[in-house]
Amino acid sequence: MRRLLLLLLLPALLRAAGPLRVVSQTVGTDELLVALADPGQIAALSNLARDPAFTPHVAANAGFPCLRTGGAEDILRFRPDLVLAATYTAPETLALLRRAKVELLVLDRFETLEDLYDSARRVGAALGRPERAEALIAGWRARIGALDRRLRAVPRVRVLSVGLYPFTAGAGTTFQDLCDHAGAVNVAAEQGLRGHQPTPSEKLLEWNVEVLVTEQGPGMRRKLAGTPPYKFMEALRRGRVVELPGALLSATSQARIEAYEALARALHPEAFR
Amino acid sequence: MLSAEGLTLGTRLRDVSLALSGGRGIALVGPNGAGKSTLLQVLAGLLQARGRILWNGRELSAIPYLERGRTLAWLGQESHADFAFPVREVVAQGRHAWGDDGHGVDEAMEALDIRHLAARPITELSGGERRRVYLARALATGAPLQLWDEPAANLDVRHVLEVLRLAQRLAAAGSTLVVSLHDLRTAFRFDEVLVMDQGRLVGHGAPEAVLTPELIASVFQVKAMPGKGLALELP
Amino acid sequence: MRNRAGLVLALVLAAVVLASLALGDSALRPVEVLQAMLGRGDALNRTIVWDLRLPRTLVGIAVGAGLAASGVTMQAFFRNPLASPGLLGVSAGGALGAVAVLALGLAGGFLAVPAAAIAGAFVATGAVMVLARRGASPGHLLLSGVALNAFFGAGTSFLLALSAGRFEVSGQILFWLMGGIENRTWEHVAIGLPGVLVGCALLLPLGRAMNLLSLGDASAQSLGVDVRRLRWQLIALSTVLTALATAVGGMVGFVGLLVPHLLRLAFGPDHRRLLPLSMIGGAAFVLLCDLPTRFVPGGLRLGVITALIGGPFLLWMLRRNPC
Repeated sequence: MRRLLLLLLLPALLRAAGPLRVVSQTVGTDELLVALADPGQIAALSNLARDPAFTPHVAANAGFPCLRTGGAEDILRFRPDLVLAATYTAPETLALLRRAKVELLVLDRFETLEDLYDSARRVGAALGRPERAEALIAGWRARIGALDRRLRAVPRVRVLSVGLYPFTAGAGTTFQDLCDHAGAVNVAAEQGLRGHQPTPSEKLLEWNVEVLVTEQGPGMRRKLAGTPPYKFMEALRRGRVVELPGALLSATSQARIEAYEALARALHPEAFR
Repeated sequence: MLSAEGLTLGTRLRDVSLALSGGRGIALVGPNGAGKSTLLQVLAGLLQARGRILWNGRELSAIPYLERGRTLAWLGQESHADFAFPVREVVAQGRHAWGDDGHGVDEAMEALDIRHLAARPITELSGGERRRVYLARALATGAPLQLWDEPAANLDVRHVLEVLRLAQRLAAAGSTLVVSLHDLRTAFRFDEVLVMDQGRLVGHGAPEAVLTPELIASVFQVKAMPGKGLALELP
Repeated sequence: MRNRAGLVLALVLAAVVLASLALGDSALRPVEVLQAMLGRGDALNRTIVWDLRLPRTLVGIAVGAGLAASGVTMQAFFRNPLASPGLLGVSAGGALGAVAVLALGLAGGFLAVPAAAIAGAFVATGAVMVLARRGASPGHLLLSGVALNAFFGAGTSFLLALSAGRFEVSGQILFWLMGGIENRTWEHVAIGLPGVLVGCALLLPLGRAMNLLSLGDASAQSLGVDVRRLRWQLIALSTVLTALATAVGGMVGFVGLLVPHLLRLAFGPDHRRLLPLSMIGGAAFVLLCDLPTRFVPGGLRLGVITALIGGPFLLWMLRRNPC
């Protein structure tokens, strides 16, 4: 309650005090910060903000300073008023920042779209830009709505998340959420797997998987074709593999909407003609 | 001064009882496996055996470790060293129970002819030299009861004789020495001799009285030629 | 030189401590460090020095002194200059505790990790002490250490595999396993430093007896040392020091092996000198190895650096001295 009050008062206080300096500690909060803040408010982005393996929009982040290690000292040298972090940030770092009397906004839910909207509202409020957050959310809803309409009549494709290590993503993962919005059935979830699990090599061959979804990379299909147990799969032999940029596949920020669209296009080209 | 009753340790010692007085040099002889080392270790309190050991009327096991360090000194058969302590420091360790006061360290080194090795690391010495260092350490303790397990092993003739002379000097000054030996002829230079065979004490007394040809034949399986200054040959 | 050794090492430590307080993401000049220590000057500098670098430095001292003292003790106990604190399985137990908290996502805030590490290490310590109390020979203890290391190591690997799919968690686990003292707080200092200081203080008077012990149990006893009691004391102190150092620093290897050995080569095996010199030297070594980690983000962790230095050094030592 006190926190809510403080957050509501913060914009008024800060407009009086001067521009807010905000540091983002995680990739997910980078995206939100760049979308919602005035450029002058951004003191630094996370240490992965310029790494294309993790960040979907490296170019957009290019103009801002970045953290080096993401540790407390690293963050403090930018003299932030507010730090955006997540529950998976190292707890010592959070404790040290609190001790340094820096305001923290810790995001704790990243699974669904509702979680995304909630996070956007919280960041927007902290930045003193609640209206901007609402505008963004409206835009996202519109895109999702449009996507849903395109996919309404389309039969859902049975897919499986694969990679060079024999792990797959079951229910309750970002990939599950991706499938739900791209007109796909996550076969691993259907078969009862939750979270990230090793792929059961023999059962796999009985699953009826139509398309394999994997991270984009040089020679990926060839490498997959050499990786047991995937090499034995019908879908691989027929070349039914969809590659998406890794940063999109694991995105928890608004980039996930792009991921929905990208996968939907790949799986249902006829719906986008 | 030192008495023991019914010392028994499995098959290694069988009911050994003895009484030794001060100012005596006692040789301990017997074939391999007779229990000489075992007896010395038990008397030094390093091995637990059944029976009692009394030092000047006190139970040895009741004497605290530090006081035992002032009372007795033991030289083992091993002359191993893992750490490169300088020789002088090793000998000075003999004064541990006296609070490291350094008394008698130089004299002990002189008596064992290792003065010239004082600064050398003990790991660099030969086996025989290390033996003399450990013997000097035992000497430096100034303990009235000295238990030496084969001090003559690995020493050349001159040093063996010097050790024997040292033993005689200590006994004359009032210490009790029990020295285990392999060479029977050397035993004759001591005041008393203890003969062990298969864990039992089979003889105790003056060398001439105990080391008879019969006893030598039965214990050591060698034939003793008659006459003084024992000459031995295979049967 | 020998007589001044302590003074020289203390000066080295002081210099390294100053560097540890001054260097990092924002480099401070010595005068700024001094101002911050006195509570004056820039507020951010004060926060950096008092909340971040000072705890980190003190934890580094605890880890270095604790591991080095434990190493000297192990080497006297096993009569082997190659013995090290990790031999008996204590640090492996600590690792299992810490990794369990990280992998299973157990609650308790950030202090749950060092607390669990202490718990795990003390389980291992308990097992070792029970054996030692019953008079187990060094050989027996070594073998039990092999068994404990294997057992705890298997548990740790299992937990690591369980977390393989979760990027952040497995990253945190790996970082802990590689050892490190960044992001250390005053709570970590409270957990590690007092215990290490007390342990070191209790070890120092045992130096005389350790000299005798290192040349043989039987001869030590005949010279007046209560060998059984001494061995128990050495094991107890060494395992506690290792447990505390592991709890606040993770798996940092080679400090307990390298520092005592180098100092023994330079200043002789007398434990009355070797113990205090190793404690100071160990602290300086850890802080020195910690400095590069502040500038190279990612994989260059404290344990990696000590291993990079320590591994080749150990090979060199073995070449020089094949026995």
